[in-house]
Amino acid sequence: MTEVQAEPAAEALRAPRVETKSLLSPYRDVLIALTVFAILAALPALSSSKALLDFVIRCAAMGLFATSLNLLVGYTGMISFGHGMFFGLGAYGFGLIMQRTGMPVPLAFAATLATTAVVATIIGSICVRLKEIYFAFVTLAFQMLIHSTILSWSSFTGGDQGLRGGIPRPVFLGIDLSNHVHLYIVSSALLVIGLLAMRQIAQSPFGYTLRMIRDNAMRARFIGIDVWRAKLTIFVLAALFACTGGMVMALFVSGAYPEFAYWTISGEGIFINMLGGVTTFLGPIVGTVLLLLLNDTVTRLTEYYGIVLGIVILFFAIGLKKGLMDFVVEWVAQRRGGAGGRG
Amino acid sequence: MDLDALAGCFVSPACLVTQTTSGLIIGMLLFLVAVGLTLIFGVLKVVNFTHGAFYMFGAYFAMTTYQFTGSFALAMLCGAAGTAILGIIFERVFMSRVYGSDVLMQLLVCYAFVLIFDDVVRMIWGPEFRSMGMPTAFQVAPLFIAGGVVPPYYLLLIGVALAAAIVLGVGLTRTRIGKVVRAAAHNPGMVSALGINTGLIYGGVFALGGMLAGLAGALAAPVRSLTPGMGFSVLIESFIVTVIGGMGSILGALIGALLIGLIRSFGSLGFPLFTEGLMYLFMVIVLVSRPAGLFGKEVA
Amino acid sequence: MTRTRRPGISRRTTLALMGTGAVTFATPWVARAQAKTIKIGMPTILSGRVAQLGTSSRNAVMLEADKVNAAGGLAGRQIEMVIRDSKGQPQEAARVARELVNTDGCELLIDAEASSGAFAVHEVARDLGVFCIHTNSETSALTADPKQHIPNAFRTARVGVHDSIVGGSYAAAIAKTKGLKKWATCSPDYAYGRDTTGEFTLYLKRFAPDVEIISESWPKLFQPDYTEVVTKILQAKPQALYSCLWGGDLTSYIDQANIYAMFGQMEVFAVNMADYTALTVVKNLPKGIHSGNRYIKTFPATPENAAWGDAYKAKYNEYPTNWSWENATAIMLLAEASKKADSADGKKIADVMRGLTIKCPFGADGTVTMRAEDQTLIGYAIGWGTTIAQEPYVPDVHAGDWKTILELEAEWKKSKGYA
Repeated sequence: MTEVQAEPAAEALRAPRVETKSLLSPYRDVLIALTVFAILAALPALSSSKALLDFVIRCAAMGLFATSLNLLVGYTGMISFGHGMFFGLGAYGFGLIMQRTGMPVPLAFAATLATTAVVATIIGSICVRLKEIYFAFVTLAFQMLIHSTILSWSSFTGGDQGLRGGIPRPVFLGIDLSNHVHLYIVSSALLVIGLLAMRQIAQSPFGYTLRMIRDNAMRARFIGIDVWRAKLTIFVLAALFACTGGMVMALFVSGAYPEFAYWTISGEGIFINMLGGVTTFLGPIVGTVLLLLLNDTVTRLTEYYGIVLGIVILFFAIGLKKGLMDFVVEWVAQRRGGAGGRG
Repeated sequence: MDLDALAGCFVSPACLVTQTTSGLIIGMLLFLVAVGLTLIFGVLKVVNFTHGAFYMFGAYFAMTTYQFTGSFALAMLCGAAGTAILGIIFERVFMSRVYGSDVLMQLLVCYAFVLIFDDVVRMIWGPEFRSMGMPTAFQVAPLFIAGGVVPPYYLLLIGVALAAAIVLGVGLTRTRIGKVVRAAAHNPGMVSALGINTGLIYGGVFALGGMLAGLAGALAAPVRSLTPGMGFSVLIESFIVTVIGGMGSILGALIGALLIGLIRSFGSLGFPLFTEGLMYLFMVIVLVSRPAGLFGKEVA
Repeated sequence: MTRTRRPGISRRTTLALMGTGAVTFATPWVARAQAKTIKIGMPTILSGRVAQLGTSSRNAVMLEADKVNAAGGLAGRQIEMVIRDSKGQPQEAARVARELVNTDGCELLIDAEASSGAFAVHEVARDLGVFCIHTNSETSALTADPKQHIPNAFRTARVGVHDSIVGGSYAAAIAKTKGLKKWATCSPDYAYGRDTTGEFTLYLKRFAPDVEIISESWPKLFQPDYTEVVTKILQAKPQALYSCLWGGDLTSYIDQANIYAMFGQMEVFAVNMADYTALTVVKNLPKGIHSGNRYIKTFPATPENAAWGDAYKAKYNEYPTNWSWENATAIMLLAEASKKADSADGKKIADVMRGLTIKCPFGADGTVTMRAEDQTLIGYAIGWGTTIAQEPYVPDVHAGDWKTILELEAEWKKSKGYA
């Protein structure tokens, strides 16, 4: 029998490096973060729309997830098809801890992060040495294995019906998470802090090490960088932020469902990155807003959501060939480039 | 977990034979669906995520043809031919645009079409599930072969699967066309420089892969209910089989499929509630020890 | 030097698109004015594998809502249904339910979600306090479990344990007459499948203690290939088989079991067989499959039921499904409750609905009751019979007796710690 040779189907992302570091310093980042948070926190006072707050909470959950995925995909060139497993673990971990123990919320939060870190370290140490598409396949396999386990272990996880009965929310530090506005403020805070933290990681020397690994791992090795350890570190860090997104989602729906650990969540993360663009830091957030808006609008108008989403994806993949933020940044750069057009 | 049942089966010859036979049947059915996927990857370096959609179209074309003509042969023909044509159009108009891009772009284009195709089928044939029904010619009693029960219809399916494996295997190695195709897989620039139309080759291979999926769908139609989105579970299974066997390897797809079939067959005895999980566990083990799959070629 | 035209959309077009987009996308956040209609929100599944659940629910609701509106509406307010697709994802179900109430101004919810979606919407009902009727989820725990009790949520779907009590006693009678001691089960591996099978087995063994379950199979929901399941069952050589596979899965299973000649070797009890969706689709239906009634227009054998089934078929050109009657009943209850309360306010309707009995074509004795203690429907027609391949499909239905059902259900609740 013949073997038709298979070359890796993924090349390293040929993404143009968009250098914005010269514009911002860490102090500026904090200032921007505080301003954004202030605006978000003021929203409940300015608008009586509960739907708007719901929207921001969902953006927080998916935004944290998608941006953490970008740390892997855009900055390190590690294409993970299974990142959703940490989103699911976060939701289930937090839900289970709150339902079964009387732990205060911040402690449960920390415990969930810790557990996810351990799982991510174990899975990561097995996966990160693999290249490109093989890494993608193994992460997907692990995610499906976790999903299968969640479904089968129904005495512990509730099986396909998910964690039922709601998530208890004891008051902590005067914050009552069953109050919609409190939940909103906490989600916004988590979003802003999470983005700030990820930004610092991306702009730090470690972040540049990651970019170097993305562009040429061999060269990185030659100058003495422990590529495996760097990849494992970012894998675990990304898992933590995905986990946080999962916890926000669990609070929003007051439960955890196996769908949170299904590959479709990973797929949504990838779409969001493609929609928003992987070359800018805020691309995934833009993508999150886009996808959620699209989802909400289309399901309001028609039940043929699939065909609409499909056409939108084609528009970005074949038409624009890049994400929205990438497009915007290039457009801005062209304007700055002055007259003369693109040769 | 029911390890007693599993152990009991290993010591009972009748059980062993029946379970092995059913494992082989499942495996061959899986192989028929998966072989197109591995072929397309091997030659075009593209993971065809629309594979399940071709399977779905093959089934629907076959069912509709059978409804109007009552002829099984015609139904199979239409299923295969329809998806072959669809494959050529899809490849030339859309896939060819993303050959150079990274795998995520290809995945997105394919996934977009899965969504579109599912809704198109829903609009044309409706959301309810449909059934083609077994043609009277095959409504016969099952055969007993070596202690195992084998329905004659499945013998047909196994025959077609084996034929596909042999034709592809021999075709790619022994014939001139096969050599050209393999050369185009290795070095398309060179092949094109020699005056051979690589576009035609790519279109042809994609059409062949799609046709195999469509044929599998058409053949499965008499025994499975049809519903928009039916391609999805089949896609996941094909994916697992080809990844375990090694993307691009026909022998790998065959062995992978048979292994999965046996795991399902014996796994449902010993682990009735975790049979699917067993499959993923196996996939993890294989990928961790041999990332390129059992028969794949790892590239440095 | 000539400027080469840049590929892609022009700046002006982009800005125009963004402007239109902003307006379209922002509209939901602008509050809507209150109208003389009453909006009832309905999250359901209109796409994907289970789309038929949503479409048949929607059909039934619209059929009944039109009748109510023609008769003056709910306490003088015309019903406006707002039906939205959750694609079968529980987080979407939660989001859609919240959106229907918070943005679209729906005052009542008809929750036509399946299992996990229903639990998700239940949490929204708990959080927002909005009136809600679950119409499709059959999981007993949704109303039986005291932890799930909230005063504003009701259920008009059939309850798994009721079905199992009737099914178990019917099957036990046949097991005794025909000497069926060795049984196998084959059900989809998810909560509905496991719970229903477990409950059926419980009552089967209670009425026929000689019965032994010698083999259990748990294929995955929507699994395309049942080969290993069929061969496993054939090897176990049971005298009878129970299955709660439904819809396309049931049809696939029948097709695949047929070519293994399985049906000639054992009695088959498939609770979901007698549903028009399966009966009209499967091509080579084996004789003599025992089934519970999902929706059959000849059971109850009343002119009201037949008329309702015919009206549905005339309007939608397809037969009603089990989901259809459950949703229709919800609207019927709503109409009657709002008449009694002379109001369309959710809380007032809820107060009246507890314990309410109404005339209903699907009732075992012409009426159904919304039981006050756990706010779920009782008194609906349950029966089992043997299927044939043409109309009336189930010529002879043995009806379940509600007195027995209620007694055994109370016992069951105690055993689960629910009572």
